[in-house]
Amino acid sequence: MNGFVIAAIAMLIGTIPCGVVVLRGQIMAAVVAYEAISSIVVMVLVLLSEGFRRSGEFELPVLLAVLLFGSGLVFVRFMERWL
Amino acid sequence: MSVREVIADVLLAVAVMIVLASAVGILVMRDTYQKLHYLTPAALVAPVVVGLAILAQSGLTDDTVQTGLALVFIVIAGPFLSHATIRAARIRETGDWRTRPGDPGRPRGGSAEDQP
Repeated sequence: MNGFVIAAIAMLIGTIPCGVVVLRGQIMAAVVAYEAISSIVVMVLVLLSEGFRRSGEFELPVLLAVLLFGSGLVFVRFMERWL
Repeated sequence: MSVREVIADVLLAVAVMIVLASAVGILVMRDTYQKLHYLTPAALVAPVVVGLAILAQSGLTDDTVQTGLALVFIVIAGPFLSHATIRAARIRETGDWRTRPGDPGRPRGGSAEDQP
């Protein structure tokens, strides 16, 4: 287990407070926490790919980062108008 | 342990601390606007530090470029998402994102939007 894997695990701990906000907070606060979780998960995937030296898995965080942008905007727009 | 590994580990520790502090901030702050302030370090600063750590560890390789691409997407998307989120919160709260008479910080005599 190298530093990258340890950092990935430590960052995953950061999703716990955000998860509490998603589950218990108001709806817009939950959106903020969801965006934080998304960013953290992209970094975790990057760190795990580097930590385990698997080149093929670097495509997953790239794809998730692109989807994070699109889905976040759509989600927020729905919050603004309809939800 | 080489110098590269030490630099990478230090940068990773910094990134982890930023993420954990942001997560705690998102948990303890009271409303959406305050919580959004703590999203920015996790969405902007930490990805840059992680990218630098991978660059320090591996040098410039295909993997580093792909990592940079993913992190650049996050860094670009962060401000747009924050803006859209705060706009949505304001619209949900007041029905419009523009300032209203009596709002704190509104210029005396109205703003330029009020002029015919």
